[in-house]
Amino acid sequence: MTTLEQARPLSAADDDIGREKRLRMYRMLLELRLCEKRAYDLFLQNLVKGTSHLSLGQEAVAAGFALGMRRDDYTFCTYRGHAHTLARGAAMAGVLGELMGRACGVTAGKGGSMHLTSVEHGAMGSYAIIGAHLPVACGAAWSAQYRGTDQVTVCFFGDGTTNIGAFHEALNFAVVWKLPVVFVCENNLYMEYTPIGTVTAVAHPAADRASAYGLDPVIVDGNDADAVFRVAAKAFERARAGEGPALIEAKTYRHSGHSRADPAKYRPQGELEQWLQRDPVNLYRERLVTLGYPELDLRSIEQDTARRVDEATQSAKASPTPALDLIHKDVWANGGSAWRN
Amino acid sequence: MDILMPQLGETVAEGTVTNWYKQVGDSVRADEALFDVETDKVSTEVPSPVSGVLAEVLVPAGQTVKVGTRLAVVRGANEQAAPAGGAAPSHAPAQAAAGVHAPASQVRSLRLEADVAARSEKRKLSPVVRRLLAQHGLSAAGIQGSGRDGRVMRDDVLAHIGRAGSTQPAAAAAASPSPAPLPAAPAVAQATTDSSMCGAGERVVPLNSIRRRSAAAMARAWQSVPHVLQAIEADYSRIESARRSKGPAWQAREGYELTYLPFLAWATCQALLRYEQLNARIDGDRLIVSRRVHLGIAVDLAHDGLVVPVIRDAQDRTLSALGREIRRLAVGARGNKLTPDDFSQPSYTISNSGVFGTLITAPIVNPPQVAILSTDGVAKRAVVVASDDGDSLAIRPVGVLAQSFDHRAVDGAYSAAFLKELKRLIETRAWSDDLP
Amino acid sequence: MAELTYRDAVAAGIAQEMERDERVVLLGEDIGAAGGVFKATVGLFERFGPRRVRDTPISEQAIIGAAMGAAMTGLRPIAEIMFSDFFGVCWDMIANEIAKTRYMTNGQVALPLVIRTANGAGSRFGAQHSQSVENWAMAVPGLKVVAPSSPADVKGLIAAAVRDPDPVIVFEHKSLYSVKGEVPDGEALDALGAAKVLRTGKDCTIAALALMVPRAMEAAERLQAEHGIECEVIDVRSLVPLDTRTIMGSVVKTARLFTVEENPRLCGWGAEVASLVAEECFWDLDAPIVRITTPHVPLPAADSLEDATIPSVERIVDTVQRAMG
Repeated sequence: MTTLEQARPLSAADDDIGREKRLRMYRMLLELRLCEKRAYDLFLQNLVKGTSHLSLGQEAVAAGFALGMRRDDYTFCTYRGHAHTLARGAAMAGVLGELMGRACGVTAGKGGSMHLTSVEHGAMGSYAIIGAHLPVACGAAWSAQYRGTDQVTVCFFGDGTTNIGAFHEALNFAVVWKLPVVFVCENNLYMEYTPIGTVTAVAHPAADRASAYGLDPVIVDGNDADAVFRVAAKAFERARAGEGPALIEAKTYRHSGHSRADPAKYRPQGELEQWLQRDPVNLYRERLVTLGYPELDLRSIEQDTARRVDEATQSAKASPTPALDLIHKDVWANGGSAWRN
Repeated sequence: MDILMPQLGETVAEGTVTNWYKQVGDSVRADEALFDVETDKVSTEVPSPVSGVLAEVLVPAGQTVKVGTRLAVVRGANEQAAPAGGAAPSHAPAQAAAGVHAPASQVRSLRLEADVAARSEKRKLSPVVRRLLAQHGLSAAGIQGSGRDGRVMRDDVLAHIGRAGSTQPAAAAAASPSPAPLPAAPAVAQATTDSSMCGAGERVVPLNSIRRRSAAAMARAWQSVPHVLQAIEADYSRIESARRSKGPAWQAREGYELTYLPFLAWATCQALLRYEQLNARIDGDRLIVSRRVHLGIAVDLAHDGLVVPVIRDAQDRTLSALGREIRRLAVGARGNKLTPDDFSQPSYTISNSGVFGTLITAPIVNPPQVAILSTDGVAKRAVVVASDDGDSLAIRPVGVLAQSFDHRAVDGAYSAAFLKELKRLIETRAWSDDLP
Repeated sequence: MAELTYRDAVAAGIAQEMERDERVVLLGEDIGAAGGVFKATVGLFERFGPRRVRDTPISEQAIIGAAMGAAMTGLRPIAEIMFSDFFGVCWDMIANEIAKTRYMTNGQVALPLVIRTANGAGSRFGAQHSQSVENWAMAVPGLKVVAPSSPADVKGLIAAAVRDPDPVIVFEHKSLYSVKGEVPDGEALDALGAAKVLRTGKDCTIAALALMVPRAMEAAERLQAEHGIECEVIDVRSLVPLDTRTIMGSVVKTARLFTVEENPRLCGWGAEVASLVAEECFWDLDAPIVRITTPHVPLPAADSLEDATIPSVERIVDTVQRAMG
């Protein structure tokens, strides 16, 4: 009953995705990968403070969906949101600067790693309370429906989210109101430190719940960016046509711990190594090579991306810390924080 | 009854009588101070437990005795003189009268009651009554109280003042910055406008809430801070020349005049960064020094009180930015448009009386700040200019910069060095380059 | 000038704004065809249709979350939470998401939305359907909070709340829904952050909110008639922003302050008012500030118990009279 979207057989001729998109996809995957690695390096240099939750290993989900989205579509994601924010087009310096608490950060240091937001890119926020953003995504989808635009709202969350009440409220709500929202569960096998299977009543935390809301269960290989792209495109098409929401479970794996404090010692021996065999960035490169993309082109993308990450890092490091008067700004629409006359 | 040496603490065994407030034969009221006791832990005033006449003093001042020792005898109004030999008065606790130790707990609880009584007596004066008494130099003792248990209420004080034909409240140190930002309360205490308290030819000018608050804070500051005033004269030629060359463009661009104040604010910040102990606050016996200058600017509200809005992180601002911020704060303060954020705690304050052409002003330091600068009038003066060719006279714009500082925080030489640096900046900086 | 009940004034305020602005939409449980459990949205469904007046499942997180998502993408939603007690099940949405998002995003996200809710005791509903929780909302930076006490006020403040660019929580009082009052004809538009002096007096100031306002007014009448005490009664109306000028202006005049709160004792809104007045009007006070509150207990259901729990006219009269004596 669970349908697994298989990667199609590969051939150079078979290209519903096309050369231009594929190269963009590879560039994006690399950018997410290198940027997250850089975030980790900066953490080791004590330049990134507080907590941060890396998407290393999960890049294909972010890239596959983002590539299929329109500029005016909305993304809602969790505190593991660096990749999703970057994938929508937010500047790397803005993201790295935010992690470092610099004035150039996407929210000038006020949000931090867990609240990356770039409204101009449709990245409507990273939400740090599990489940909270699913109802909010419903609202954005309702707004698009009400205004008669055919914008789609995509809402990413982890496997752990499927066990919180807001998930179920939002799913029911979205179906009843037939909202153009696509819920994407990134199942990376661990809620935080605990294997999701040990705390969930069903084997597939999202897909096995879909039928409770009259939705088709969809599982996709979350490490295959092309497969993700295809399943996303199908869901978007339905949503834009007014056929309501979708719930997609993307199977993937995070290479690092839950957050920077977590060495992920709870993973069984060999598990990480096994998943590294299916590293989404390497997989994609291999596919491009198989499809006949010139090695030179790929090298050039790799060098260019590495250079851009370096530049972004330098620019973020050079940015000053935020002005202290920011503390009292933007509680209200008038820019201030006064609560009395 | 017998007055015993009280136990002034669990571990205290003896105490020294240091002072008798009454002499034998004096009458004393219950709760009225009778004598002082000093122990190794405390020194305290002990009230009489009863009303009556001090009949005997058994332990003179200066003597140390054990807890429970008979110190004196106070005879109640209806109490007969005790027969010689000290037989127990009939209604006094037999033990105590016989000179036997009263249990410590009993002594303490007696004291506790007395303390509570004394405290609540004081507490019965409300803040507004205390303020009115202080302003009019009155004591509550002579005022009939209409409140519960005879408490003196606000209206009682006002009625008393009205009857006594008292003049206006004592003037507060008004020409100094207000201590804290306050929303201007629209209403003024009604009764203080009551003309019945005026004499002939007099008029009541009620203090508005800003002035009342600044009055209280200034009085406290004046009492608690050891002030020193130091002043230096500075030649404003270079600032004047910048104002002449860049002022018209400024006026055209910004829509208001380029005054001396932004220049002085900038120079003050720079000088404070070098002499940072003046940019500090007193915290007990420590001085907390700041590298950030939150510069308070005293703004006169059309002679109706002063407020001190603050330029935060003034050290980071350019001359133009300071000029704009000073303007914004001044206009905002006069229009009552500033937010509480504009009134955060300053680290140093400038009070500018210069517009009135004053020669020198001795401002009051507003704690926890440790210093305040008055910038006074700038006027053309004949100045002796020294050069290699000999001295000559020149006409130069000259003004006095006067700093009051808290002598607990810094010494005169430090303050003087600061003023010298300030003067150096004013006289030597190429100010015109700072302005577009 | 028409005489309306408080509940009709709520509906009239919402209708006025929906008429004016197509972006205004309404969502909540039973608010549509049923007209709301307190009948405060009667007629709106018929007038504006199911596209703009939407019934929801019993999903408070979804209701508030959807309002938030809609507000950040161009609509001006009004969400109803049937009983303010249910804030407990969507407090994450209100306190963590709505209140903080503008700030956390450095001003990128605007949230012009209104949450209406039925607040307060008097209906014998017991501890989970009778609370006054405006003090919860007041404690969270980023939320504006009003609690109107009359039909005219509720209409005007709802209009102001809808037009405000920030999230506003409107606490409607259950025991006021059936109260009638004059509501001016034509467009109603009040101002957030403005208290009202409903009665002037020289002896003491009584600050009250919502249902406590008519009680304070009645108490003031009696204190005048029976004890010759002239009370100034202030309807605080708006907790955030808080009109400290009106309150302090009155205290400076009378030198005495009483607050009348339906909140349980600890951290009721009056505690903040008392703290501000003590700090800034200390030298104008002629007696300690006195707070008249619900005791620090959950609310009992039985009518006799509930009536004896929340501040009554008698308690206000008695407390003020004793303190002033």
